Amino acid sequence: MMIFNRFPAAVGVLLAIVVALNFSMPTAVYGQSAQAPATDPTNAGKVVFSRANCVGCHKWHGNGGGGYGGDALSLRKTEMTRDQIIETVGCGRPGTGMPFFMRGAYDEVKCHDMNRQDAGAQMPPEGGTFLRPKDIEAVADYVIAHIKGAGEPTYAECVTFFSNTSRVCDVYKAQAPKPDDATASTGKDQ
Amino acid sequence: MERSSGHTRMLRRGCLLVAAVAAASVVGALPVSAADEVNQERLLNVDKEPGNWLHHHQNYSAHRFSTLKEVNRDNVKNLKVAWTMHLGGIEGGGIWSHGGLEGTPIAENGFLYVTDGWGSVYKIDAHGGRGVLVWKMDPKTDRDWAGAVACCGVDNRGVALWGDLVISHTLDGRLVATNKETGQVAWQRNVADPDKGEVITGAPLIVKNMAITGVAGAEYGIRGWIAATDLATQKEVWRTHTIPGKGEPGSDTWKDSNNAAAAGGGSTWVTGTYDPATDTIIWGIGNPGPDWDNAYRPGDNLYTDSSLALDATTGKIKWHYQHTPNDPYDYDSVAENVLVDIPGPSGPRKLALEADRNGFAYAIDRTTGKFVWGLPFVKKVTWTKGLDAESGKPIEYDPNKPVQTYVASVTPSRTNMETDICPGNMGGKNWPPTAYNPDLKLWYIPVIESCNRIKVEVATPDKLKAREFWTGGGPSQPFKITGSVTAIDVTTGKIAGKMETPFPNLGGILATPDLVFSGQPSGEVMALDAKSLQKLWEFNTGGGVNAPPMTFTVDGKQYVAILVGLGGAWDKWFIDSTPELKKIQPGSMLYVFAL
Repeated sequence: MMIFNRFPAAVGVLLAIVVALNFSMPTAVYGQSAQAPATDPTNAGKVVFSRANCVGCHKWHGNGGGGYGGDALSLRKTEMTRDQIIETVGCGRPGTGMPFFMRGAYDEVKCHDMNRQDAGAQMPPEGGTFLRPKDIEAVADYVIAHIKGAGEPTYAECVTFFSNTSRVCDVYKAQAPKPDDATASTGKDQ
Repeated sequence: MERSSGHTRMLRRGCLLVAAVAAASVVGALPVSAADEVNQERLLNVDKEPGNWLHHHQNYSAHRFSTLKEVNRDNVKNLKVAWTMHLGGIEGGGIWSHGGLEGTPIAENGFLYVTDGWGSVYKIDAHGGRGVLVWKMDPKTDRDWAGAVACCGVDNRGVALWGDLVISHTLDGRLVATNKETGQVAWQRNVADPDKGEVITGAPLIVKNMAITGVAGAEYGIRGWIAATDLATQKEVWRTHTIPGKGEPGSDTWKDSNNAAAAGGGSTWVTGTYDPATDTIIWGIGNPGPDWDNAYRPGDNLYTDSSLALDATTGKIKWHYQHTPNDPYDYDSVAENVLVDIPGPSGPRKLALEADRNGFAYAIDRTTGKFVWGLPFVKKVTWTKGLDAESGKPIEYDPNKPVQTYVASVTPSRTNMETDICPGNMGGKNWPPTAYNPDLKLWYIPVIESCNRIKVEVATPDKLKAREFWTGGGPSQPFKITGSVTAIDVTTGKIAGKMETPFPNLGGILATPDLVFSGQPSGEVMALDAKSLQKLWEFNTGGGVNAPPMTFTVDGKQYVAILVGLGGAWDKWFIDSTPELKKIQPGSMLYVFAL
């Protein structure tokens, strides 16, 4: 399990950057946001969560977990503040697989008080897409509102994420454990 | 172009076809449909139709050897692109940002049948020196459902033919039969269940009117199996679990109190082989779970990391040979077993060859399941000092030890929580298939020359959750990884040659009488001299080669075909070991070459 390193000194710097870049952009910049109920102010962040492929490692439920890519941290169990999440999304996590999503990070602007040269081998990977400051804030707001502090993933939560287009949520439906083909009983669903 | 005729028109077509088929069966057989019907007789005698490629692995023995020699050592330098076709299926789903192409095209009478990663089947007319899409069958795979539990990519390795049907799998667990003429789905059946972490990536193997299906999911706590579906009745004939149930033979090799066997892995995601002489299916079995915490599952963990021989009629296990007991490395033995007969002192030796993820190539007597020879085919092996000459087991293996440590200083364990292993966990050879030249008795292995770093996380029963990773740790890639094509002389069990490549071989091999074809994830398709492995021809496709080449004829002319589109496990999990490949774009394209 990776240890979460905090970078308190850098938070202020990043905040300043975010504030500086915070032009008056509309929050709902993606057409897809129309799919979700207009009542949830964090829908834009949910779209970012999928579009920036946060789900690729943290999964739709944010629990991350082990596997072939090593551990992506659980966003459900995270103790990060909104500002720390914003910093982590923008700057990535040096020395880990968590990418940075802010255009110009480590080049035009320092991250964790480092430029690319300072980061050296600790340089985090570049995200598959860059996010604007508003998007980064939106995804942080989504994580705070829907993922951080949540317990085990539920069916209702899953359906809210995916709507009803996939069987991906069926596994969370309350039901007795399925009998396995095994004569040995399955350890799953327990 | 996707066939987009109106529904009524398709229905009418369907009726006409049904009528035609009925008429054919009444009057004996129309010449056209008789030639196009694929039956056991044709599947057993593919050498009689060398212009076709009817099996996933070319023949039942997985030789991936074509006798076609219009393209040969002397003229291969003139090989050029004849035509290409863009395919689809690169969309993301689940944890995957995009799909890739790992399939082997099937060729019959001038038509190709290929799949994309999401299981769409394309029928392509290759007559006249060009490719024309006849139809596309999109199975509408539930991408989020399946893609969330596909450990290693949005993959589909191809189709099989039976009767007038194209038989294929989908990642979300279905066996689909499509009418070869119309592209309409004739029927489908759920074989695997993504709710249990099961998905299907392999091509079906057709044996005596049955489709044999393997399953993936050993990283998600499945209990693996091989299943046979009767293609006439669409009913399951047998399903053999690769992890014994309680009280069954081999169940005593799971000695824990965690009920580890119930989620013990043993996946079967590479298409196996069939020996008609003994009616035996031989299939490779994957790793135990959790992958890297072998103290969670003391015992040898049968039949993980084994070659398994099954009675084709009943599915009953005939023999097994286990390569890495109580595996702490993720060294699957899913690889195809190549069936080879070589002269021996007391008559022909009937061998099953397997190039294991653990870095060793094995020859097993396929009648008895006994070890014949084994040798490392990669440049670097650190986890064992070698194989016991008699048993073929790693020399450090101690059957009395519940938890194996092999070379303990490098082996991942609860007391060695971060360690480097060679080969890395993707193995010395992964799924990309080998090829065997029966004239030269040379066996060509697509090699990943690798090491990587493993971090162990202690597994506990509460961490086992449906549809979540169950790996007991994870790898990282601090080392550069390269590759090779390595040839083994099967008569001696020695390495006959190694052609090193800058990148791992993620595509597999095609052998012809005097050539070997393969590719690189950096885009090159290449032809090598079958004896010297000297490179004779190369073409850069501009995409990443992640699939095996094959060859066929149409209108009397030989073509070489290969799917190009980097996907699979590599560009998500292993890319840091080959940073140059980060620039390779997702793609989905069929390349066809000719003189």
